[in-house]
Amino acid sequence: MLTPMVLWLVLFAVLPMAILFVYSFCSRDDLGRIVFTFSLENYSRVFDPRYLHIMVRSFGYASATTAICLIMGYPTAYFMARRSEKIRERLLVLVMIPFWTSFLIRTYAWIQILKGSGLLNTVLGSTHLIAAPVEWLYTPAAVMIGLVYSFVPFMILPIFSSAEKLSNDLIEAAHDLGAGPLRVFTTVIIPLTAPGIAAGVVLVFVPTMGMFAVSDILGGAQVPLIGNVIQNQFLQARNWPFGAALGIVFTLLFAVSYGLLQRRPRWDRAASA
Amino acid sequence: MRVLRRTLLSAIVALSACSAALPSSEVNLFAWTEYIPQEVIDGFTKETGIRVNYETFSSGEEMMAKMLSGSASYDVVQPPDYIAEALIQAGLLRKLETQRLPHLANILPEFLHMPHDPTQSYTVPYMTGTVGIVVNTRVVTEPIRGFKDVFQPSHAGRIVVLNDNREMVTWALYSLGLRANDLSPENIERTRPILAQWFKFVRVFDSDSPKTELLNGDVDLGVVWSGEAAILYQQDPKFHYIIPAEGVHEFVDVVAIPTQATHVAEAHEFIDYLLRAEVSKKISDAFPYTNPNGAARRLLSAAQLANPASYPPAGPRDTFRAIGKTSQQIDELVTDLKNSR
Repeated sequence: MLTPMVLWLVLFAVLPMAILFVYSFCSRDDLGRIVFTFSLENYSRVFDPRYLHIMVRSFGYASATTAICLIMGYPTAYFMARRSEKIRERLLVLVMIPFWTSFLIRTYAWIQILKGSGLLNTVLGSTHLIAAPVEWLYTPAAVMIGLVYSFVPFMILPIFSSAEKLSNDLIEAAHDLGAGPLRVFTTVIIPLTAPGIAAGVVLVFVPTMGMFAVSDILGGAQVPLIGNVIQNQFLQARNWPFGAALGIVFTLLFAVSYGLLQRRPRWDRAASA
Repeated sequence: MRVLRRTLLSAIVALSACSAALPSSEVNLFAWTEYIPQEVIDGFTKETGIRVNYETFSSGEEMMAKMLSGSASYDVVQPPDYIAEALIQAGLLRKLETQRLPHLANILPEFLHMPHDPTQSYTVPYMTGTVGIVVNTRVVTEPIRGFKDVFQPSHAGRIVVLNDNREMVTWALYSLGLRANDLSPENIERTRPILAQWFKFVRVFDSDSPKTELLNGDVDLGVVWSGEAAILYQQDPKFHYIIPAEGVHEFVDVVAIPTQATHVAEAHEFIDYLLRAEVSKKISDAFPYTNPNGAARRLLSAAQLANPASYPPAGPRDTFRAIGKTSQQIDELVTDLKNSR
């Protein structure tokens, strides 16, 4: 039973990582081809302040995106999960519909909405909410809008699936035992949907951290994120070993912080105490 | 079980028979995005029966990275001049069999024997152009002559430039009175304060379609590929194209055949097709860069030839030369500057 899973892991996770790991200790020739001579130079460059600075910035963007997705996604998912089965399914399809269109095309569509003479300014202008068109496009705000838009479904879906399993009996029982709405929410609903929240946070945070297309398209490529830097190494700068070293350090950071998160006392344990 | 195996076997036999029946001639093309009209590719297949597998890239560096990764074998590639030079030096391009390219005679002499291919034995020029300044004269009324006039505080937030590190460094080199290929580490470092100043005023870095921001009215000035400027001028003559007073370089995109190509005959046939006057004219119609094909130029309309972005006043101009590892220093410089904005 385990074999297909192991095979999948080896082919698509272990093997590419191994190649990346080997490359990260290599150097390159003038054309950018890999030269197999051992070197630690790539790793010493990773810890250059300029790249650390970019990593911190990317972390900031990813955290903010995750927080906003959680604030927007949680009530949405919870609302969906509490509907009748028929409506639930329809709402689920609505969340999925955007995936039928390429992510890039949807991001380009935001240019039409955010540009100076775009939809957003037209609507705001006609309702007299703003006096002059606001420059939305090519700002950090545009990048945030693009990131939240792209990843909010990844927050909604796992929370939905754990909220769906949440039995109404438990909520009623809590009420019967005298808990107010806030108490029910914090001691019953949140702990029981915690697995969904955790999955959603990981599913949003990890890809946002590596994202490069949104900051290029909606941010005007003004402010580099770590994803842009890595992509540049593989294409523009033609320095695959350095790109590989960045990728390895990046993955290790994730693995370590994920491990630390897992060690924290878990919600459900706190709830049963 | 045996039935299943027999069915599978017969399916495999049928499949292989199918593939044998298909015309085996094809050519694997690796070219820039937005550069070869579909009409031209279809016309070639219709005439010769050779299928064209078309894959695209959006920078010369990307093209080289993918070609060197060896994951695919291409028969015709379309590198810019300095990438072609590096590929020739590394022995990765095949000598062309010029007797198979009778239409090479259409190319104007000034585009032959250029520094990237001095013996003219590996490449054929496809399109050429410059990188200059576009001004929306409806909004910007003062005269713009060079980079100095573009990167002014009064234009802050109204400028788009190519998101191409080497290009940006080149413009700064010209501002210092240096030339495009004066890329010593000291000279690159000297461009730092200039670019730092310029970057404060730039709203968008975009190599793929800088004309979009200008058309949308989100910016009024641009430093862009001449072909993009020519399209803007066609759409609205308020978009003027200016050759920067500080200096300008010329780029030549070429077509060539990699050493590892497997369809060499078809590749030659395809290249010669591109060189035909009427085919090359169609390319100019769709992508109005400077056409090095003299016979095709004679087929262009007076309006096309009068487009100042497509056919700026002639002049001896630098072309980029192969730079090797210097690209790393340039990449670090630009990353630094964008980072500290």
